[in-house]
Amino acid sequence: MTRRARATTGGVTLLAALAALAVALALSAGIAEVTRTEVSLARSRRATAAALAAADGCLARGLAGLPPGWSFDEALAGTDGVGGTMDDGLLTLPPGCSGRAEATPAPAAGPAARPRLLVTVEGRADGGRRVVQALLGRSPGPGLPALAWLGELPPTGVITGALVLDGADRTDASAPPWAGLAAPADPATLDAWLTAEAARTTRTAVTQAPFSGAPPPVTALAARLQAAGPAGAEVLVASGIPTPARAFVATDLVVPGSLEGAGLLVVGGSLDIRGALHFTGVVVAMGGVRIAAGASLVVDGALWIGAPSVPGSSLRVDGRLELRQDRVAMATADGLVPLPRVAVLLGLRDLG
Amino acid sequence: MSRARGSGLVELLAGTALGLIVLGALTGAVATGARVLAVAAGRGELEDIAHIAVECLTFDVRRAGYDPAGGGVVAVTEAFGDRVTLSADLDGDGAVAPDSEETVAYVCAGGQLSRIVGRQSMPVADGVSACRLRYLDASGASLAVPPTGLAATDRTRIRAIALDLTVSAPGLAMPTSRTTLVSLRTPP
Repeated sequence: MTRRARATTGGVTLLAALAALAVALALSAGIAEVTRTEVSLARSRRATAAALAAADGCLARGLAGLPPGWSFDEALAGTDGVGGTMDDGLLTLPPGCSGRAEATPAPAAGPAARPRLLVTVEGRADGGRRVVQALLGRSPGPGLPALAWLGELPPTGVITGALVLDGADRTDASAPPWAGLAAPADPATLDAWLTAEAARTTRTAVTQAPFSGAPPPVTALAARLQAAGPAGAEVLVASGIPTPARAFVATDLVVPGSLEGAGLLVVGGSLDIRGALHFTGVVVAMGGVRIAAGASLVVDGALWIGAPSVPGSSLRVDGRLELRQDRVAMATADGLVPLPRVAVLLGLRDLG
Repeated sequence: MSRARGSGLVELLAGTALGLIVLGALTGAVATGARVLAVAAGRGELEDIAHIAVECLTFDVRRAGYDPAGGGVVAVTEAFGDRVTLSADLDGDGAVAPDSEETVAYVCAGGQLSRIVGRQSMPVADGVSACRLRYLDASGASLAVPPTGLAATDRTRIRAIALDLTVSAPGLAMPTSRTTLVSLRTPP
């Protein structure tokens, strides 16, 4: 072979090698591009999922933050509580979210005629953004699913007698059990309070753990009750089966003997039990409850205590306080005067 | 002169051999790269398919029962092991139009998971080798689904819908599986 022939062969080999290298480089670039695309898609999906989770979380927080009541007028009035201003419908939500509420037209009759609220929440997280629209309403059941709904958590040591909490429904064994306690405090504090009072507290096995909740709107409830024309303390009877009734006592109520009652009892001052009171329905004590040693208060329904003017005086149990769930009694009380209800989610849709 | 020719032949053979080795290695590398590229692209597409299917179902289940006008919308109007129909009043007119986005069905059939809106059927996942819908009540227990589907009273007990989905693609040894559980956003 001549030098020229060898040079030609070497050149072909080099060209073939370079061509193969070029193909390999193109393939490598393709793999890199596919990887880059997939990574970009994964990032986008993660951001979208994080934003949706943020929107869902903010909606849940906003829902929990709406106070129990009869309507959504407070939410519609905005953060300043005054209607017809710029912040109407503006919701207070955690950082990373914004939201507005608006009234939704509803039929004049039927379940849908209950107050409802249309809430639009935008959640942002990890560079993503999602918007959800939720339809809120008031729960079908009155009050909170708790035996005792307190305006403030009393200090520990207020129970020297006995506290009995039975979350099982007396009238329907299949009904979901209630919590023993709801108050505007974080769950850990509520747990700690019950633990501190555990030696003097009996909770049935089905009774649910306490949960946080806004204070009961006792002032608004008292106003509604007064507007409905209530009776007084005379509805509490010493013997016989009491007739469910609306009862309002503007001042302190002292129960010296053994009495029974049913329906809705609202006490503007404190409820002072020195004998025995068995009530079937809802007892509201705006100024707190005191049960003397040897006395007892049994409520088949719910006990709501407003935040009294003197902090820490909402509850004192030297005798016996027994609370049992009774949905029929709650419904009866609700029929006498509509009770406040918590806000619930009725529906949701993603707007993108 | 003849020594020069013999020397050239040896050089040629050695050079050719080296060239073939280099070419073989490069060809192998290129072939491997091509296979990796195809598998990576196929895997990515398969993951996309599964993800999109889950996203679609999640989107529709979340809004099922949306009823701004209070017309009494039933969130789940059909519930089979391989088919579910969801309803929502999206335009707030108090009614659910059967031939619009307000009525959406998901059907597992023929190796596909399809999203059906009115008469329009859109496959959201091809190459489906396993597809099952489950319905959970408030306690998280699965409701037993008879061949005729859940009765109306049982459908009102549905609080969440689960989808078990497995999709595969030619050329990929491993299929991709997803299980998603989506809660209804309607009151119990």
